[in-house]
Order: sequence, then C-alpha cells, then structure tokens
Amino acid sequence: MILATIKLLIPGPSLTFNMDSAERFGVVVMGPLTATFTYFLAVFSFGLSGDLAARQSMYPARMFTLPVTTAALAGWPMLYGSAAMVILWLATRLFAVWPSGVDVPLMWPALLAAALLAWTQALTWMPYALPGLRVIVTVLWLAVIDSVALVAVQYKAPEPVMLAGLAPQVPLAFLVARYAVGRARRGDVPDWRGPFVRRRVADAPDRRDRFPSPGRAQAWFEWRRHGRSLPAWVGLLLPFELSLLFITGNTPALVFVILLGVLLTPPVMATFAAATVPRSNPAVGDSYGLTPFIATRPLTSAALIAATLKATIWSTVAAWMLVLGAIPLALRWSGTWSVVVEQMRQAAVHIGTPRVVVIVLLIVSGFIAATWKQLVQSLYIGLTGRAWLIKGSVFLTLTFLFLLGPIVQFIIDHRDVQGALWDALPSILALLVCVKMSAAAWIAARLYRSRLLSDRTLISGAACWCVAVLALYGLLAWFLSTPFFPRYVLALVAILAIPLARLSAAPLALAWNRHR
Amino acid sequence: MALVGELAVSESAIAVSGLTRRFGTTTALASVSVSMPRGAVYGLVGANGAGKTTLIKHILGLLRAERGSVRVFGLDPVVDPVAVLSRIGYLSEENDLPGWMRVHELLRYTRAFYAGWDEAYAEELRQQFALDRSATIKNLSKGQKARAGLLIALAHRPELLVLDEPSSGLDPIVRRDILGAVIRTIADEGRTVLFSSHLLDEVEQVADHVIMIHQGTIVLSAPLNDLKESHRVDGRIPSLEEIFVAHVGIPAASASEE
Repeated sequence: MILATIKLLIPGPSLTFNMDSAERFGVVVMGPLTATFTYFLAVFSFGLSGDLAARQSMYPARMFTLPVTTAALAGWPMLYGSAAMVILWLATRLFAVWPSGVDVPLMWPALLAAALLAWTQALTWMPYALPGLRVIVTVLWLAVIDSVALVAVQYKAPEPVMLAGLAPQVPLAFLVARYAVGRARRGDVPDWRGPFVRRRVADAPDRRDRFPSPGRAQAWFEWRRHGRSLPAWVGLLLPFELSLLFITGNTPALVFVILLGVLLTPPVMATFAAATVPRSNPAVGDSYGLTPFIATRPLTSAALIAATLKATIWSTVAAWMLVLGAIPLALRWSGTWSVVVEQMRQAAVHIGTPRVVVIVLLIVSGFIAATWKQLVQSLYIGLTGRAWLIKGSVFLTLTFLFLLGPIVQFIIDHRDVQGALWDALPSILALLVCVKMSAAAWIAARLYRSRLLSDRTLISGAACWCVAVLALYGLLAWFLSTPFFPRYVLALVAILAIPLARLSAAPLALAWNRHR
Repeated sequence: MALVGELAVSESAIAVSGLTRRFGTTTALASVSVSMPRGAVYGLVGANGAGKTTLIKHILGLLRAERGSVRVFGLDPVVDPVAVLSRIGYLSEENDLPGWMRVHELLRYTRAFYAGWDEAYAEELRQQFALDRSATIKNLSKGQKARAGLLIALAHRPELLVLDEPSSGLDPIVRRDILGAVIRTIADEGRTVLFSSHLLDEVEQVADHVIMIHQGTIVLSAPLNDLKESHRVDGRIPSLEEIFVAHVGIPAASASEE
C-alpha cells in the first residue's frame, strides 16, 4: 500500500521508478527486506523477551498453562511466522514485477525464509544442557541450511529442485519444535554443568569482590540483562554472511560488498537490540514499565541512565570484537585475503599508505560509533515505559525504512530533483540544526528545572558535546578538503552527527516512567 | 486525623497531606492525609483496590503526587529518591526479583546500594530462610522468592520497612517468617514498619497502629489498643475484623474477593 501510494500519488502517473535491473532492485529492497526478515525472526521466536544464553527454553513459560496441546503451542507461532515470511517475500516479488519488471523466483526464497524461521523457533525453544549452547547449535544448523541453499543457487538449481529440498524443512522443524516445547513445558532442562560448579558457587562466600559503587552494580545488571543480546545476534548472523566469501571466488566487488554487509551487521542488529534495552522485565505484565525492583534502587534517574549507557558500550565492544576477529579468519580460510590486500595495495599506490590506513580506521570507527548510537538513540522513547509511544515509534521507523529505498531511487533517477536538493542542501541542514538545537535547549531547560542532572553535569555534558563536534568538524575539514563542500556545511554535518537532544532526553523519559 | 504540621513532618517517618490520585475516571486516593511517627508498626488495612498499594507507591516515589504532598523522613521521594530509598527496605506484592539472577548475585548486587548492609545479618537470614546461594531466582518457589525479597529488604537494616501485601498467597510458614522479620525490625530502636494487608489477623498480631483505607479514603487511623478499647461492646474487646466490618460494612476478605 505504501509503495502504491508513492507510485500513484507522490511522483504522479507521468513519473516512473526506473528499476529495470536486478542490482537496482536489490539496492532498494535490501534494507527493508533484511530489517523485516530479522524482525520476524526475533518476534516469532520470542527472541525479544527471552535470554539466548540461558539453558531454559525461550518459549514464554506463562503460555505453558494454556489449555491447548503442545502441538498447538508450537504450531501456531510457527504457522503465523511462516505465513508472515511467505507474505514478506510475495510482497517483495510483487514489487519486483511491478514496477521494476525484474524477474525473481516465486516460491523458493519464501520457503527458505520460512524454513530459516521455523528452525530458529525450534532450536531457540529447545532447553539446553549448557549456557550458550543454544547460540552455537542454532548458528551451525542455520548455516548448514543457508550454505546448502547458496550452493544450489551457485549451481543454478531449478525452482522445483529448490522447492523439493526446502519443502520438508518446515514440517521437520515443527516436529523438533513440538518436542522442544514439550520438554520445556514439563520443566525438563538437562544440566551438564556438573555438580562441582554448583558446589563451588555454594561454598564460596563470594568469588568476586564487591562492586566498587552502586553505579557499577547497576551497569553489571544492565549488561547481564540486555548487554549480551547484540553480541549474540551478531554472532548468529556472522557465519551466514562470511560463508558467502567461500562462493564468491576472487571477485573484488563481491568480496567488498560482503564485507560491507558484515560491517553493517552490528549497527543494523543494534536497532533491534535497542528495542530490548529499556525493558526492565519482559516477564511481568507491563513489560515496558519500570519494575518496582528497579524503580526502588536508591540511584538517581541519571545514574540509572549512566549504567545503561555503560552497558551499551560494553555490548558494542563485544559485538565488534566478534566482527573484527571473524573477518580476518574468514578472509584467510576462504582464500580472499589476497583480494583485499591487492585492493588495499592499489589504493595505497594512488593515495598513499597513511591515508588508506586512516580511511580504514575511520570507516571501522564510524561503524562502531553508529552501532552504539543505534543502541542509545531510541532510549528516550523506550524508557518512557508507554507502550503506545514505543509501538508508534516502531511503526513510524518501519514505514520510514520502507519509504527510504524508493525515495532514494526516485532521487537517483531524476537529475532535476538531485540538482534542487543539492542547491537546498545547506538550507535543509541549517533547518535540521535549528530543530536539533531548539529541542536540545528545551530538554536542557527541563533537566535544569527538574534537577535530574546537576549543574556541573549539564555543563560538562555540553562541553563534551562541543569538543566532539569540533573534533569531527576538524576531521571532516581535513578529509574533505574540496570546494564542493563549504566549511559551514561540514560544521552543520558535524553538529547533526553528534548525538545531543535524544540522548539528553533519556533521563527525562526515565523519570517520567519511574515517577508516574 | 491529625493535621501534618512542621514539627510532625520533621519527626515523622512518613507524612502524607491531602494526597489525591486519579487513574482515568477512577479516584484511587481522595485527599488522604496521614502522619506516621517513627518507631512503630503501622498496619495499612483495606480490601483489594482500596488504595493501599497506590498509597505505598506514592511513599516510594513510584507515583508522583497529582495533588497534595508526600514526605518520607521530611524529603520528597520523587525529588530526592536516593536519600529516601537508601533508608527504606521494600517487599513488593508482585515479587519482581530478576528471575535470571542467582541468590548470591542478588545479594552481591543489592549490597552495593546500601552503606549499612550487614553481611553477617544477611548470611544469618539466608541460612534461616534456607536459600541456596547458587539457586536461580526463577526456579525458587513463591515462598522462597518472598523470603529472598525479604532478605534484601532487611539486610541493610532500613529505618523504614515497607511491606506491601507480603504474605499474599503464601503458606503459613513463610507468613510466620515475615511476621518474625517485622518483629525483629521493630526491636531495633527507632525503626518503623508499614505493613499493608487484607489479612486482618496478621496485622492484629504485630501492628501498633492501624490505618483503615476504603475506596481511596482513610476511614480510621488510630493505635490498635485505643481502637479496640473504643469499640468495646458489653465489655468484650472486638477483633480487628469486627472493627473493619463496623466501619466499612463488609468483611475485608469478602471485600477483597469483590
């Protein structure tokens, strides 16, 4: 419906989207398709409210008491999930045929998506004997299915063959899911940790020292509660993405597209992980609200936010350690290391080695910063604890994602629009800066009046923000020393890039939630 | 009911004045005023939905006073949550301890917040409550969870212990533990306990002072002994349940089921 609206109303009947190649089509649909697919994986496997690392099943225990059979408990979420995946692909394919005219397969990608979801559900609902085993088993098994499908694509297997291979997957996954939910329903959780582990915990008065401060204790709490989600999800996806390196051969463009996808994974997954960060206890009825246990901690709202921010930093670092550790290994094992080295060498010949090193460091730093920013920039919504606000925000974000691709493509296809936008760019940026600074001033005034932050903290925060903006501006001015970008435009970009208003609003949001 | 004056504010553990709270069209609290001097056990009684939890949430700063004021130790719990909450031990009706934590992690985490955390007392309570250090909270029984919650509420020896329907749905042994904890807490000089319940026999066992709340208003607030004396009929001292019926019109238990 959104696409039809764009097509018919916004550009008008005389203007058309020009997506007559598979590459252009891929660029437009990749963002929303990947985002929605990942969202469906998380939602239909109850991944947003469960603990991936725990031994216990991620299936919500409150549903075990429903007067339905175990097959129904397992079957209905799988049915809904599979249907959602099939509809997602059919909608994408519809978009491919109209208005793009690109020929893409009809059914097998839908079945592959449904199979991946079904196996994710089955394997995440299974109780495991060891903590963390769930992630390993799920990753390995999904990697196997993905690899088989990719090999079939590589060898141009016809659609009936693909369908024959994928069709049994969903029923098989259902049988496993029914077994998994049955065990979880009976409370049958195996334990291979061994009695010595439990005895050690029981006997030792305290293996670790005390927390040095309440803030550190709260940061530990936030890390344990939410911090491990992002590294776990990134770890789940990395093998699939990096396995593509094994079938690309030595084509530099493809290798770099895959690497770009891998680098984009933490920021994209952080968008989903961010949805869980403000939730204090998904097990209670009002899962968005702050539980009395947290709300009665003798900490200021600002200290609670600081603990959350610390945990998001640890989470970002852990996710990127996985990525930066896995990429060289995958490049080595796939034999594509030489491709990357050769490209770097050629770049060094043209622009010099120091500049290449700086560019690579800047790209990686930018992605790391973007990951953290994704985790924290929606805190001001999530911490309000108001379900209507949070769900409305998710809806708007998804709508924006769906709109983004076609709008970008429309701009790319129309040089007159590009020219107008380029001419208006300084004004647009200036307007955005005005909006941002006005919001920041209003928030600062509210923070000052409510005494949520001390004067010193407010001034220090403002000073740190100014330093960050100046540093980024200096970097941009050095890096983009060209007449195409006037210095004041770079200054506006730097102001917009460094988080201020939304991050500052987080203590207000938490206080609104904590003292209702 | 005594008006809350300046002197009373400074001497009271809790001072509530003209507190009104509405949820949509429902008035949960209607101009409630009550003062609770330090060093006594206050039983807050009333049927489910009478406004007990709403009043307690205001005292903890979880709800902001729409009209009126709430002071705990002379401080506004919304404006200064650290100073207030660090002196309060709280056991919630809805036991919301993080299920993923182990008992030893819960103790390690909680003690970081309280300068007065008494390690020996915490260990004594843990052993008395038979809580396995390595047990995960979500695997504990309801009674064990209540004991764990009580442990962390007591181990920092709070100046004010707030128990919101602590024995709701628990077996007699756990209820005995809770009542025992209340008695131990008041044994320490100057400690104050606010104990909400619709099980009036329990309140009768430990409370010095009873506050009856019904449909958002305080219908009675007096020392328990005075209350009983003033309701003496033909020389017989009535039970708290009978006094409740006399003022509210229905028994607390049946009112709770409505």
